Amino acid sequence: MADDDSPPQGRQFSANGTSIPTADVEAKLDKGNIQEAESSLRERLSLNSEEARTLLGRLEYQRGNVESALRVLDGIDLQSAIQGLQPSNQKAAKLVLEGVYLKAKSLQKLGKFTEAAKDCTSVLDAVGKIFPQGISDAQVESPLQETVSKAVELLPELLKLAGNYQEAMATYRRVLLNPWNLDNECFARIQKAFAVFLLHSGLEADPPSLGAQAEGAYVPKNNLEEAILLLLVIMQKVHQGVVQWDPSVMDHLMYALSLCSQTPVLSKQLEELKPGLFHRTERWNFLALCCSGAGQNKAALNILRKSLHINEKPNDLTALLLAAKICSEDPHLAAEGVGYAQRAVDNAKGVDEHLKGACLRMLGLCLGKQAKVSSSDFERSQLQNGSLKSLDSALSLEQDNPDIIFELGVHYAEQRNLNTALHFAKKYIDITGGSELKGWRLLALILSAQQRFAEAETVTDAALDETGKWEQGPLLRLKAKLKVSQLRPMEAIDTYRHLLALVQAQRKALGPMKTDSQVDDKVKEFEVWYGLATLYSSLSHWKDVEVCVQKAREMKQYSAELLHTEGCMHEERGEFQEALSSHINAGLLDPLFVPSKVRIGALLPKMGSIALPVARTVLSDALRIEPTNRKAWYHLGMVHKADGRLAEAVDCLQAASMLEDSDPVENFRSIL
Amino acid sequence: MSSPASCIQTLSSILSSVPSSVSSSSSLLHDPTISAEISSLLRHPDSGSGDNNLCRWLYDTFHSPDPDLKLVVLRYVPIIAGVYLTRIALRKSLAGFEAILLALYAHETTARDGQPVSVNVPDLSHPSIYHDPKGSAKTKATELNLAVISPTLEPHGTMRSSRRARIVGVALELYYAKISQMPVSSKIEFCEFCDIWAASQKTEEAKAKKERMIPLPWELLQPSLRILGHCLLGSHNSKELLAAASSANKSLYHRSLHDIDAKAILATGSLLRIEKMASDPILNVDHTEPDMSNVLSL
Repeated sequence: MADDDSPPQGRQFSANGTSIPTADVEAKLDKGNIQEAESSLRERLSLNSEEARTLLGRLEYQRGNVESALRVLDGIDLQSAIQGLQPSNQKAAKLVLEGVYLKAKSLQKLGKFTEAAKDCTSVLDAVGKIFPQGISDAQVESPLQETVSKAVELLPELLKLAGNYQEAMATYRRVLLNPWNLDNECFARIQKAFAVFLLHSGLEADPPSLGAQAEGAYVPKNNLEEAILLLLVIMQKVHQGVVQWDPSVMDHLMYALSLCSQTPVLSKQLEELKPGLFHRTERWNFLALCCSGAGQNKAALNILRKSLHINEKPNDLTALLLAAKICSEDPHLAAEGVGYAQRAVDNAKGVDEHLKGACLRMLGLCLGKQAKVSSSDFERSQLQNGSLKSLDSALSLEQDNPDIIFELGVHYAEQRNLNTALHFAKKYIDITGGSELKGWRLLALILSAQQRFAEAETVTDAALDETGKWEQGPLLRLKAKLKVSQLRPMEAIDTYRHLLALVQAQRKALGPMKTDSQVDDKVKEFEVWYGLATLYSSLSHWKDVEVCVQKAREMKQYSAELLHTEGCMHEERGEFQEALSSHINAGLLDPLFVPSKVRIGALLPKMGSIALPVARTVLSDALRIEPTNRKAWYHLGMVHKADGRLAEAVDCLQAASMLEDSDPVENFRSIL
Repeated sequence: MSSPASCIQTLSSILSSVPSSVSSSSSLLHDPTISAEISSLLRHPDSGSGDNNLCRWLYDTFHSPDPDLKLVVLRYVPIIAGVYLTRIALRKSLAGFEAILLALYAHETTARDGQPVSVNVPDLSHPSIYHDPKGSAKTKATELNLAVISPTLEPHGTMRSSRRARIVGVALELYYAKISQMPVSSKIEFCEFCDIWAASQKTEEAKAKKERMIPLPWELLQPSLRILGHCLLGSHNSKELLAAASSANKSLYHRSLHDIDAKAILATGSLLRIEKMASDPILNVDHTEPDMSNVLSL
């Protein structure tokens, strides 16, 4: 308590049935007459010297005169009093220990933390002597318990303030693992303080020893585990209604669990909370972040739909951005995402102005994704223009944002604006210092689309140098395809062999310790066999193709790609019906698989004019999915020609010839 | 370079002067004039190249068998990592910085034998040292969620750019492991670099200095947030550090929103709220205060 100029009215001493105001004793103390104050008190309230001094100490402490309080309390020989404590006389014990505790508090106020901790320790040691088996509720009288509880809570704080961290750690455990008969709130407060200390002190403390603990009980191995355990235990008491809700416990848990990427555990805690502790939209948004943090984007979006509902908080920027981001990854959700992103752009004002670029970027991504599934040419080109406009605006706000630079690169590459795409791809590699694999792949693919295969291979080799062994898969696959494009099939086979060895070693080495990011980049063994099958089929080595297809099928039984390869094999062997049925099956397995559609469109006209309309439909469908597919344009042109629509045929063949030299060795989409 | 004395002697040929009071590892770690000069040399536009004397000294000092001398090198991890990452896009030779960071990475890889570091997140249906659920089946094995907080380390002899964030992240993990022994000035430097990396709300000043956003993948952000948690909530009483950490956390929070990084939003957001609650007197009643009632009785 700070010094108060005017003491609270009505402060009084009360003992042995008599009450007297404190004013004249205060006056004596103010003059430094401790002896007089003491004897006055002893006379008027029939007290002994220790009792009087304790009351005076408390008075001075209350008045904020901690130095005077210390002088008063120094008049009691507390050490010998502690020595003489008897378990049977709790009243005397309370008086002595309160005196020592007041001393500790006074020393704390004076910044003398080490001395304060010493006094506080002696309180706990004395209690240990009185109750050698620990305190139980039946044994202790409440005035003594009050002092004990306070001392138990204070001691670790004093040790921390004194910089004696190891001792603080040991004391927390001594306090929490032994019975001191603390009330639930006090116990939870100490648990929380210890958890925070474990989380943030940065000490490498030994884990608690197995020692006297019950057999089979879980013992945490390190600070972080112990902190998480303590916070979960407090939260359980909150759920059970045993202790009051303390939002900071949830926040500490949120910090610890998100750093461990254990957001599903956090979701569970949030779900168990009683209603009313958080606003429901706030809780939904936390839950959505937890789901998204664990990669459960569908679940996150479902929750966000609730919190962004028009009757809830439809303009919450964080929720809008997260929803838009999730939608931007799925063409079928993109239209919904455009709505969120647009709302985000509209709301990125004032203190949130700095998020405008991020909002525009999301809008651009969602529009671009929506364009991919648009069924009309007109709508598609409108969406693409909108996408480009948004990404450009985003870039003008954040000129160094690598993500936007990369996305513009992909956008231009997909439009076959290869020179502009090349510019962005190079800029992206510069700005990220080549740290992102996808940047290298984009650059190599753009070069391959420009038919600069040798340069593309150089880029791929440079990228291989910059990449750890386990992430090299996609680059090796790319390299093999570049070799094929340069008509060096034997080198390509070598590269595939290398890749196969890597993939198999990877499966062995990583085993169960796979993390998500490693799975993402991994080239599956399937792709290697499929790549080889394609390569052999281009060389017309049909026996080898069959072997590779069989191997690949062991990895993935139902695959449009393999059916397509088999279809091509049948075509080569003149097995028309079998070829057609393979390609049709491929289309049934994956309705978005373009190569088989193109082959169907190429094969059907051979059945005569009756099949031409079907061929036309199939090829148009292929072009809807992949507007820059050269072969589809070519065959569509041939269908028009066979049907006698020469003008259309010319248009299509012209498109095909324009696109001729702009096919990358892998689809640009494969990078995303 | 195996003893503090030879270390200090070599340093005196690099710095303008070494105070005579500096004679031990501990004084080398805590002397403010030495750290100020080393810090400013590390921030020099031409620092960090392969033939840089100071980088060489830090590299050699880290390889001394004296663990206290290793601490001296760790003290500069914030500046080295900070300056290094902000210069990547400038295409300058940074081989000196890279050699130090790789040495730290190699040290940790050896110490851990490349193994991942994980923590258990317990399921409370089984008893622990801190609780005993009623009616729990004691024979049932505890269901644990194993959380990897630092994945497997593969050896790297060179700074492969795709592993850069991880290598710097591991250096930060090493720094965090010794953070209780680091001087406050070093931690403040770390917080200031977090601000720069995040570049979330560009000031005119930042624009003039051409500070740009540094990509902050989780492998870099996660150890940074652990360090930041210590600076914000660890047991220290430096107001300056608190202010720096608070500002860094705000920047990283804005950056996480900008990057829509869910885990980072949760972590930085929770630190923000904890900080706010800590300054609210209503929420911070001191329960250790003695009885303050007006009636003083026995």
